[in-house]
Amino acid sequence: MSCEIKRSVSLYSYQDEYYDKKLDLEGCLRETAKTGATGVELLAEQMIRRFPLPIETEEFRAQWFGWMEKYHLEPSCYDAFLENHIYDNRTLTLSEQVNMMKRDIRLASMLGFKNLRTLVSTPMDVIEGSLDYAEEKEVKIGLEVHAPFSLNSGWADGYMEMIHRTGTKYFGFIPDMGIFCKNIPDVLRDKARRHGASEECIKIVDEAYAERMAKGFVKIKYDLNLGKANMEYRMANGMKEMMDAVEAAGGGPADQEYAGASFTYSWSDPQDLIDNIDYIFHTHAKFYNMHEDYKETAVAIPEVIEAFKKAGYKGFLSSEYEGGEHLRADLPVDSIEQVRRHQEAMRRSIEDC
Amino acid sequence: MAGRQIYNPDGFKNMEADGKITGYQFDFKAQYYRGITLSIVRDIKVNVDGEEVNREDIRLVVNGEAFTLEEMRTVIDSDYRWEFGDYATVTVCKEGGLAAGSHHIKAVQIIDPSYMPFQIEAVCEADFEMK
Repeated sequence: MSCEIKRSVSLYSYQDEYYDKKLDLEGCLRETAKTGATGVELLAEQMIRRFPLPIETEEFRAQWFGWMEKYHLEPSCYDAFLENHIYDNRTLTLSEQVNMMKRDIRLASMLGFKNLRTLVSTPMDVIEGSLDYAEEKEVKIGLEVHAPFSLNSGWADGYMEMIHRTGTKYFGFIPDMGIFCKNIPDVLRDKARRHGASEECIKIVDEAYAERMAKGFVKIKYDLNLGKANMEYRMANGMKEMMDAVEAAGGGPADQEYAGASFTYSWSDPQDLIDNIDYIFHTHAKFYNMHEDYKETAVAIPEVIEAFKKAGYKGFLSSEYEGGEHLRADLPVDSIEQVRRHQEAMRRSIEDC
Repeated sequence: MAGRQIYNPDGFKNMEADGKITGYQFDFKAQYYRGITLSIVRDIKVNVDGEEVNREDIRLVVNGEAFTLEEMRTVIDSDYRWEFGDYATVTVCKEGGLAAGSHHIKAVQIIDPSYMPFQIEAVCEADFEMK
C-alpha cells in the first residue's frame, strides 16, 4: 500500500477569514502550515491584489517563494478561471481564450505550480490549443471533476478520447471529493431548518438521496450545453418525482431550496479513482463540516483515501472547505478550525497503513 | 444573528457639493469569493425605503475612480478590480440626499462569472442610520 499521498490546503477554504480581513495571504499560508499540510493551492484572483500584475514582478515572486520557504510549503495547484465572458456582448474567440489559458499557465509556472485547475466550462478546443504550451512550461492542466460530473461517465469519455488522440501527458482530471458524498451535508440540512423547512420534506429529500445512492447515480453525458446535460442528469436521477413529493407534502421555498440543492451532491464509487489514476495528479479534498471527532458526515474520507492508497496515488489531497456558504448569512464561520480538523482526519487515514 | 458584514456601518453618508446635498453613498463588499473585473458586474440595483433608484443615478467607485453601470461593462483594468473582501463605494445622485434617521436598504449585486450557468444575484439588505 502506498503512503506517499501528500496533504495541501486550498486557500479557497479561508475565504471567510480573508473577507473579514482576519487573514491576509501570508496569514492564510501561516494557517496552512500550522495544519501540517505541505502544499498550498492558490486562487490568484482571490488573494493577489491587482491580478495579474504583481506576479509579473520579481519583488512579488521573491516574497512568494520566501513565504514558501518560511512556512515549508510547496505550491500544489493554481486555480484558473477562464473568464471567456469578460464582456457582456460576446464570448471571447477561441484564440483569445487560448491566450488567456496560456497567460494562466505562465502565471502558474512563475509561482512554482506544476498543476493548474481549469473549470468544467472550459471548451475542449481551448484545452487542446494550450497543451503544447503547458508541456513547454511543465504545468499540467487538470479539469475539475465536480458534482454533477463524474469519472467513468459519458462526460469523462469525451476528454479521454482527447487524451488518447493527442497522447498528451499534460492534461488530466482533478476530482473534487464532493462526488463522494454518502449523504447531503448536515450544514445544508441545518440551514434548511433555520429557513423553515419541514421535517417531512427534509425526510423526502434525504430518502430520495439514499435511494439514488442505493440504485447508483445515473451519470451525466458529454454535451457542450452543460445546462442541458445537467437537466437530463437530474431528471434521470428522479428529480421530478422528488419535487412532486415535496410539493404534495406542502413544501415551501425552504423545502424546495433544500430539494434543489440536494442535486449538487453526488456519490461515485471510489473505484472510479483507481480506474482513472493515470490521469489524476491533483485532488480537491472538498468538505462541508468536520465534527470534533474528525468525522465528515457527508464525504466518505476514509473510503476515498483507501482507494487512493490502493491506486498508488502520489499527488496532493487539497482541503477545500465549502461549508461556510451555508453558515455565513446568519452564523459565524470558523474555517481555520474546520481545515485543522480536516487535515487531521486525512492524516489519520493516510498514515493508517 | 452573527452573519457576515456586507455593508460598512460607517459608510452611509450624504454627499455635498457647492453647499448642496447632491446624493448619498454607501460601501459594500462583493458577495463572491474572488476579485473581479467590473465588466462582469452586470448590474447593481439599489432600493432605499422601498424606493427604487434609477440605474443612471448610480456610480460604483473603486480605487478612487467612479464608473456608471454602462461604463463598467468595459472596465477590465487591474487597478479597478473589485478586490475580494474590499468595500466598493456606491454613490446615488439624489437632490437633498437621505433624511437623518433610520432607513432600510435593499441592494442587489448581479455578477456573472463565466463558468457559472446562472448569474449570481446577491440581495444585500440592512437597516442603517443617517446622522
